[in-house]
Amino acid sequence: MAYSNKVIDHYENPRNVGSLDKDDPTVGTGLVGAPACGDVMRLQIKVSDDGVIEDAKFKTFGCGSAIASSSLATEWIKGKTIDQADEIRNTEIVEELNLPPVKVHCSVLAEDAIKSAIADFRAKQEASRALTGE
Amino acid sequence: MSVDPFRTLGIDPRFDLDLEALDTRHRDLSAALHPDRYTTKPANERRMALDRAINVNTAWRQLRDPVQRAERLLEHHGIAISETTAPKASPTLLMEMMEVREELSEAKQARDLDRIGKLGQSMSAKEAEVLEALRLGFVSAAGDVNTLRTLLPTLGELRYLKRFFEEVEAIEEQLLD
Repeated sequence: MAYSNKVIDHYENPRNVGSLDKDDPTVGTGLVGAPACGDVMRLQIKVSDDGVIEDAKFKTFGCGSAIASSSLATEWIKGKTIDQADEIRNTEIVEELNLPPVKVHCSVLAEDAIKSAIADFRAKQEASRALTGE
Repeated sequence: MSVDPFRTLGIDPRFDLDLEALDTRHRDLSAALHPDRYTTKPANERRMALDRAINVNTAWRQLRDPVQRAERLLEHHGIAISETTAPKASPTLLMEMMEVREELSEAKQARDLDRIGKLGQSMSAKEAEVLEALRLGFVSAAGDVNTLRTLLPTLGELRYLKRFFEEVEAIEEQLLD
């Protein structure tokens, strides 16, 4: 399989690999899987009081394209508000990384991971608001 | 949809295949289709035998693998198998797979073959359970499409396990080199 240079770059020097404390109320964790191939991806965001993603980490067990997609995703969402990050589409990842049609599902996985991390963060915020009775 | 491997090999479409009988069938068909038997035959017959021999090999490999066997069996009953039809895994399964893949990657870094072997064993036990659930599921569905569809998440679980074992194999090969 011929990978594009950008995929190879992210694969060889993945940005933001690692984890954040999933129990931290300002951290949202997205855990997604590709049911057709068995790849798993975790993407985490740390959100500031004004809703800006100040840190993002990922860990992906999958092919080069899945790793590159999630690496790129963390790069893109850092510094964005969660609303802006929520608008990132997998097609933008496909375009940036020149993913071939058989690897489009890797970009879908990355988009799902962002959304699921944001949803987790929002759910935590809701829960803590409910708890403090605000 | 791909060619029905059960038909190619002329065997009953079922999940709990007798693997020895499957191998025998593959061997017999391959022998009958061997090019040596066709040296004096016309070119078109030689080509047809060769095509058929390739199909027989593909079918045999597919049916040997439980994931593909289940997929082809579902297709045999008219259920489409594709990236987009596969149901999403449960959060519990994803968490479990993430944990076990992380543990495997740590063991790889530590070059700890013993730990890798133990991880493989515990996941093999899990795989055996999933295979048994699929076997029972296929039997009790008795060809009913709606019941068969309920097996898709279990098949998904088997795919995650298959990826895990592929990774274990690759690591072991690398470390033993």
